[in-house]
Amino acid sequence: MLELNSIHARYGAITALRGVSINVSQGELVALLGLNGAGKSTTLGCIAGVLKPWQGDILFDGASIAGKSPEQIARLGISLVPEGRDIFSSLTVDENLRLGGYILKEKAEYHRNLDEIFELFPVLKERFQQPGGTLSGGEQQQLAIARALMSSPRLLMLDEPSLGLAPALVDQIFELIDRLHQRGVTILLVEQNVDRSLEIVDRAYLMNTGRIESQGTPQQLRTHADIEGIYMGVKGQSGK
Amino acid sequence: MNLAARLKPFDTPLTLVGAVLFLALLTGLLGIPLLTRIVTVMFVSLILVLGLQLYMGNSGILSFAHIGFMGIGAYTSVLFSMTPAAKELTNSNLYPFLIPLHLPFLPSLLIAALVAAIIAAVLSYPLMRLSDAAAVITTFAVLVIIHVVLVHWDRVTNGPRTLFGVDSYTTLWTSVISCVITIFAVYLFKESRIGLRLRATRDDAYAAASIGINIVLMRWLAFIASAFVAGVGGALWAHFITSFSPYSFYLTETFVILAMLVIGGPSSVSGAVIGTLIVTAAREVLRAIENYINILQIFPGGFFGFTEVIMAIVLVVILIYRPTGIMGGRELRWPGRRRLSPPVEQEPVRNRNV
Amino acid sequence: MINLEFIINTISLGSLYAMLALGLVIIYGILRLVNFAYGELIMVGGYTLYLLASFSPLPWLFIALLAVLVAMFTSLFTELVAFRPVREKSLTAMLVTSFAVSTLLQNGALLIISPRARAVVLPQIFQTSVMIAGTSVPWRNILTILTSLVMLVLLTLLLRHTVLGIALRAAADNFTMTRMLGVPANTVISAAFAISGIMAGLVSIFWISRSATVTPALGAPPLLVAFVATVIGGMRSLTGAVVGGFVYAIVISLLGVLLPPGLLEFREAFMFVFVIIILLFRPQGLISSKTSVERVG
Repeated sequence: MLELNSIHARYGAITALRGVSINVSQGELVALLGLNGAGKSTTLGCIAGVLKPWQGDILFDGASIAGKSPEQIARLGISLVPEGRDIFSSLTVDENLRLGGYILKEKAEYHRNLDEIFELFPVLKERFQQPGGTLSGGEQQQLAIARALMSSPRLLMLDEPSLGLAPALVDQIFELIDRLHQRGVTILLVEQNVDRSLEIVDRAYLMNTGRIESQGTPQQLRTHADIEGIYMGVKGQSGK
Repeated sequence: MNLAARLKPFDTPLTLVGAVLFLALLTGLLGIPLLTRIVTVMFVSLILVLGLQLYMGNSGILSFAHIGFMGIGAYTSVLFSMTPAAKELTNSNLYPFLIPLHLPFLPSLLIAALVAAIIAAVLSYPLMRLSDAAAVITTFAVLVIIHVVLVHWDRVTNGPRTLFGVDSYTTLWTSVISCVITIFAVYLFKESRIGLRLRATRDDAYAAASIGINIVLMRWLAFIASAFVAGVGGALWAHFITSFSPYSFYLTETFVILAMLVIGGPSSVSGAVIGTLIVTAAREVLRAIENYINILQIFPGGFFGFTEVIMAIVLVVILIYRPTGIMGGRELRWPGRRRLSPPVEQEPVRNRNV
Repeated sequence: MINLEFIINTISLGSLYAMLALGLVIIYGILRLVNFAYGELIMVGGYTLYLLASFSPLPWLFIALLAVLVAMFTSLFTELVAFRPVREKSLTAMLVTSFAVSTLLQNGALLIISPRARAVVLPQIFQTSVMIAGTSVPWRNILTILTSLVMLVLLTLLLRHTVLGIALRAAADNFTMTRMLGVPANTVISAAFAISGIMAGLVSIFWISRSATVTPALGAPPLLVAFVATVIGGMRSLTGAVVGGFVYAIVISLLGVLLPPGLLEFREAFMFVFVIIILLFRPQGLISSKTSVERVG
C-alpha cells in the first residue's frame, strides 16, 4: 500500500535522510524504530507532505505522492498523529474532532466514526465541550489519535505516541494501537520504545542516522539484528 | 606571486569599485549636468543600500528603520555645516545653543554618522533579540518614532516645513569617494569575524547559538555599523539636495532603497551594487516616460505614480520568480578557484513546515 | 472633561479600531504576515465610495455595500497574485511583497484618479446628531458602534459554528496540522483575506465619514493604528485584537486630554514606544497568556 523508494531529505544544510526504503502492506502494523535524530519523524514528515524529499519516490497505492501538499495527502487517506500531539489547544474536543472529520463527504460517516471514537475513548465524551488545552497529557494523546481516526484513514501514522506519558498510560496506548490493528487499520508506528513496540508489530525497521539498518519480524530482529545499542539506549528512557 | 594573485582576495570589492569609478569617470568626462545629477544621487543611494545590506544581508532580518537613520544623519550634518547666519534665517525657532555650531563639511558628516550610530546603539540593543514579525514591527516602530520626532521637534529640524539654505557640498567626486570607501568597508565587514558569525546566525540561529555565538551582540554591532553608513548617506544626500523636509525620510524612500536591495539580491554586496545601478536606470527611464506623458497632457488629471507602480510590479515579480534577487547571494568574482567564503545557498528553511 | 460625550466618542473610536485590528490580525494569525497593504484596502474602499457617490445614482446603503465588496475582492486579488506565489518562500519575501503591494495600490490610485484629495458625498445621517441624556451624540458614532457589534457577532458565529470558522481558528493555532487534516491551505488563507477585506471596507466607510475626503495616502494612518492595537492585543488572538483596539482608543483619547499641547504632537511616537516595550516585555500582548513571538538570546 505504501512504498518509499530510496528517500533523501534534508533540513536546510543538514541531510536527515540518506536513502530510506520501506513498505507497508494493507492491514499491517509496521514500526520504525531508532534513537533520537535517526530520521524517523523526518520520514513521516515526507510521507505526510510537510517535507519534500529531494530524491527518491513515495508511492501510495502505486501512485506517486512525493511533493504533494499535506492536504492532498490527507485526502488520499493518510493520517499523521505528530510527535507532541499538536492538538488545537484553544479548540474544544468537539471542534478538534470535527476538523478530524473535515474530509468526510457524508454526515452519516461522521456520526458513525464519532460513536466509534466514544467507544474507544470514553473520556473524550465526558470532555466533549472542553478546550483541548485543558486535557491531561494522556487525554490529549487520545484526542490526537481520535482526531486522526475521524477521517477513516487508510493509513494511520503515529509519531512517538508513548512519549512523555506515565507508564500506566504507555500501556494503555500500546493496547490501543494493538486494538486498532486487530480492527484492520493499517498503521505505521514510530517509536523509541523498542521493547514494547516489538510486542505488538508485524514487522519493524531499525533506523540510524538517516538510514534503515535492518528490518524483519520481531523474532528476526530480536535474534539476528544488532539492536543492542538502540535497545540499551532506550531502556532507561522508556516511560519518561 | 604576481599582483593579480595578491589582489585575488579582494576581487569582489575591486570589481565593484572599478565599475563605480568607471561610471564616475564617464559621467565626469561627458559633463552633462542632468547625468551628473542622476549619477551623484545614485551613488548616495548606493551608500544607503550598502548600509542596509550590511545589516539585512548578514543578519537576514528585514529592517525598516534604516531611512530613519538617514534622516538623523541628514539633519545632524546640516546643524553643523550651516553657517549661524543661514540657520537663523531658515529656522528662527532653533535652540540658541545650536546656532553657533559651525564646522567644515567632512567633520559635520562624520559627526552626523556618529550621532546616527549612537542613537541606533541606544535604541536597538533590546530589539536585537527579537526575530520574525516582532523584529520587523519594532524596526518599523523605530522608523515611525524617528519620523514623528523629526516632524514635530521644530526647535531642531524646523518641523514639517522644508529646511532650505543648506550648502551644496556633495559633488560627483565626494559621493564616489564615499561610495568606494563604503564598498570596501561593507565587504570587509561581511568577511570579518563578526560578519561570518552573523551570517551563521542567519542560516541557523539555534545552531549558531549552540556553538557559542552571541547573536544579540553580533546583530547589534551590525545594526550600529549599518546606521553609521545610513548617517553618511543622509549627510551626503542633504548636502546635494540642499532643501528637504522630514517627509523625505519615510515610507517612499524606504520602498526605493528596499526595492534596490531586494532586486539586486540582499545577501551579497554585489547584489546591493547591481540592484542600485539597475533600479536607478529603470527609474530614470520610467520617470522620463512619466514626465513626457505629463508634458503631452494626455491625461487631464496628470500622470503620476507610474514609476512606482511599475517598480512595485517588478519587485513582486522578482520576489515570485527569483526571491534571492538578481545575484542570488553570489558575489562578482574574478575567474579562479580561491575564495574567502563559499556562496550562500539561499534555500529558505520554513520553520513552520518542519 | 471625561463626560458622556467623551465616553461615547471613545467607545465609537474603540469600535472602529477593533474592526481595524481584527482585519490585520486574522491574516497575521495564520500566515505570520504583517500586511502593509491593509491600509490600502481602506483607501480602495474610500475611492469606491467617492466614485459611486459622485457618479452613480445608487442609494447610499448600496454604495457602502459595494465599497465593502470592492475592498474584499481587492484583498482576495492581492492574495491570489502576489502573496500566494511567495508564501512558501520566506517571511521576508512576504513582508517585502506586502510593502510592494501597498506602494502599488497607493500609486495606482495616484495614477488612475489624482494625487489631490477628493470630497466624498456623504449621506445626511453622517452629519446629524441625536440627543442622549442631554448630550449631542453624532449618528456617525452610533453607527460605528452598531456596525462593529454586528460584525463581532457575525464573526463569532462564523468562527464558533461553521467548519470553515473552526478551521480558521485551528490554522491560527497550528497551520501545518490543520493542513494535515485535509483542510486546504488556500481555502483558509482566502477566507482570512476575505474577512480582512470586509473589515477594511467597513472601516473605510467610518474613517471617511470623519474626514469626508479621500487621498491615495489615506491608508497609512489606519495601518499604524492597526499595528499598535494588534501588538497590544498580542498579535495572534482575535479577542486580543478587539481589546487592543479599545485600549488604543482609550489611551489615545486620554492622552489627548491629559498631555500638554507641546507633547501632544508626539502622541504617535509615544504609542510606538509603547509598542516596542510591549513586544520586548509582553510579546503575548497585554491580556493573553500565550507566548507567541519567536525570539533568540
